[in-house]
Amino acid sequence: MAVGRSSRSQPNEEASTALGLLLLIVIAFAVFSWTATGFASPYNLYTLTRTAGLNVLLGLAMMVVIATGGLDLSVGATGVASAMFAGYLMQDFRFQMVIAIVAALCFGGALGFCNGFVVVFARVHSFIVTLASMSIIFGAMIVLTKAESVRDLPASFLALGKIRWFGYLSPMLIVSVAIGALIAIMLRWTDLGREILASGASSRAATLSGVRVGSRIITVHALSGMLAAAAGVMLSIRNGAMVPSMAGNLGQEWLLPAFLAPVLGGTLLSGGRAWVLTTVLAALLVTELTSGMLLMAIGEFWVQFALGSVLLLAVLLEKGRSTLMGTGEGI
Amino acid sequence: MAKSILRQEWLGLAVIAVLGFVVMATLRPSFLTPFNLFVLMSTFALATLIALGQMVTLAVGQLNLSLGSVGGLVAVSFAGLMDVWHWSAAPSLMAGLALGALAGALNGILIAQFELSAFIVTLATLAMFKGLNLALTKAQPFYHIDRIVSAFGNASIGGPIPAVLIPTVMATAVVAFIFYRLPIGRQILAVGGNSSASELSGISNKRAVITAHVMSGALAGLAGMVAVARLQLGQPTIGEDWLISSFAAPVIGGVALTGGHVSIVGTLLAVVIVALITQGLVLFAVDPFYVQLVLGGLILVAVGLNSLRSLLPIGYSSL
Repeated sequence: MAVGRSSRSQPNEEASTALGLLLLIVIAFAVFSWTATGFASPYNLYTLTRTAGLNVLLGLAMMVVIATGGLDLSVGATGVASAMFAGYLMQDFRFQMVIAIVAALCFGGALGFCNGFVVVFARVHSFIVTLASMSIIFGAMIVLTKAESVRDLPASFLALGKIRWFGYLSPMLIVSVAIGALIAIMLRWTDLGREILASGASSRAATLSGVRVGSRIITVHALSGMLAAAAGVMLSIRNGAMVPSMAGNLGQEWLLPAFLAPVLGGTLLSGGRAWVLTTVLAALLVTELTSGMLLMAIGEFWVQFALGSVLLLAVLLEKGRSTLMGTGEGI
Repeated sequence: MAKSILRQEWLGLAVIAVLGFVVMATLRPSFLTPFNLFVLMSTFALATLIALGQMVTLAVGQLNLSLGSVGGLVAVSFAGLMDVWHWSAAPSLMAGLALGALAGALNGILIAQFELSAFIVTLATLAMFKGLNLALTKAQPFYHIDRIVSAFGNASIGGPIPAVLIPTVMATAVVAFIFYRLPIGRQILAVGGNSSASELSGISNKRAVITAHVMSGALAGLAGMVAVARLQLGQPTIGEDWLISSFAAPVIGGVALTGGHVSIVGTLLAVVIVALITQGLVLFAVDPFYVQLVLGGLILVAVGLNSLRSLLPIGYSSL
C-alpha cells in the first residue's frame, strides 16, 4: 500500500468497484434481454441464479486464500471429492442428508487444512502445494470411486434441486450470498478477519504485531476447502447425482470461474485486500455473461475464449487504473 | 572427474533412475522387450518437451499454465493444415512452431509489457487457446495427417530407439545451448534469480521474460506436434493432462521454483523416473489413475526435500 493512503479510502474504492460491476450487470441484462431470446424468461433466470450460486461459492473459496497472498488450485478436486464423500455416506451408509452434507463440509475443510499445513511447514508457495494436492486428491478420488457416479440418493436430497422461488429465483444463490455475508462480517469485524488481511498485506509486519501468520494461512486454506465442498454439494444437488467428472479432469474447469470472481472484484493477488460484495457481484456478472452468450448460440467454446479474455481485460484495466491513480497497487 | 560427478546435484536422481530400471528389469522381464523400451522412450520424448517447456518459464521466476493449451492448439493447427488445406509436413511443422512461439510471445508481452501476474495471464490464455482450439475443431479430431508424420510417429532409428526422440534431442540441445552458451540464457537466469539486481546491471528484464515465454510456447508447440505424430491424428484433447507433469519433472529435477536456477540433466532424469513409474504401474497392472496420486506425492516430496535442504547449514546445501 502506498504511503499516505488512509485505510478509510478502502470502503470508497470497494463501493466504486461495486457500482461499476452493478452497472455492467444492468447493461448486460438490458443487452441480452434485447438480443438473446428467452434470456429474461423466468426459467432462464432460475437456471442463471442457480449457476450464480455455484460461481459465488467458487469465487469466495479462492478469495479467502488470495486474501493472504496465496491461492488454491485444488478447489475443484476438493469440491468434487467432498461431494463424492457425501454421496457415498448417503448411498452406501444411508446417512441423513444433513449429516452427510455437514460431513462433506468437514471433509473439505480437512483437505484444505492439510494444504495449509504443508504450505506453512514446508515453507513452499501454495501454488505448488495445491498443484500437487489437486493431483493427489483427484487421483485418490478416482481410484476409490472407480470413476463411477453416485446416483442412489435420498428423495429429500434430490428435492433440494427442484426448489424454485417466485418462479425465477434459485435458493442456491441466496445460500451463497448468505455465506458471503458471513465471510464479509468475519473479514471486517472480527479479529480473525483482520489478522487474515494483515497476514496478506505484510506477513512480516503481521508477525511483528503478534499475529500467528502460519495459523491464519492454515485457517484460510481450511475455509477454502469447506467452501469448495459446499460448491461440490451444490453442483451435485443441481445434477441430482455426484459425478466424478463434474469439474473436469483434476477439477481444472473450476479454476477459471474461481479466479474470475475475485480478480474482477478487485481482490489483490498479492494479498491484504479482499472484498466480498464485489466478488459476489463479479460472480453474478460472469454467470450472466456466460448464460447470455450461450443463449445467443455463439457456441460454448467461444464462451470459454470470451471468459479468458474477460479475465485478461480485468487485470489490464486494474493495472491501468492503479497506474493512473498513482497508487502503485496492482494485480 | 569422479569428484565433480559426485558433487552434481542430480546424482541422487541418477541413482534412483538406474535403481528403478534395474528393479523393473528384474521383477518384470517383459520390461526389457524392444517394444516396451520403444514405448518407454516415446513417452520420454514427449514428456521431456513438456517438462522443458515449463522449465524455461520457471527459470525466469514465472510459470506457464497455458502450456498444455498451447500444445493442443498447435497440435490441431498442425494436423488441420495437413488435413484441410493439404499442406505437406515441413511447412506445417514450421507453421506449428511459429504459432507456438507466437502464443508464448503473447503471454510474455502481456506479462512483461503490462507487468501483469504470469499466473493470471496464462490462466486467461489457457482458456482462450483452449476455446479457440475447440471452436475451430468443433472438438472433432483431424484424421488425415501427412503420411510422413504418421510414419515418423511409429518409426525407429535403430532397435528400440524411436524416431520421435530426434526432435526431443534437438530441442534439448538448443535449450542447453541457450542457457549455457548464449548471453540471453544467462540473462533469463539472472532475471529469475533477482529481477531488481538484473535490471540494475543493465539487463532488459522484459526481453528475458518474453524470450523465456517464446521458448516455452515453441516447446509446447513442438510437444503438441510430437503428440500428433504418436497418436496418428490431431486430437483436440492433446495437452489437457500436461499441467501436473510439466511441473513435476522440473521440480523433482531440482529447478528452483523461485527462478534463477535450471538443471537440464536433473529435469531429464526426473522425466525418466516419472516415465519408469508410469510404466511400472502398467506392468504391475495397477490402476493407471494411481499415476496422478504418485505424481502429486512426488512433487510434495521434492519441494519438501528442497526446503529441508535450505534449512541445513551452508556447505551442506549443495548435497
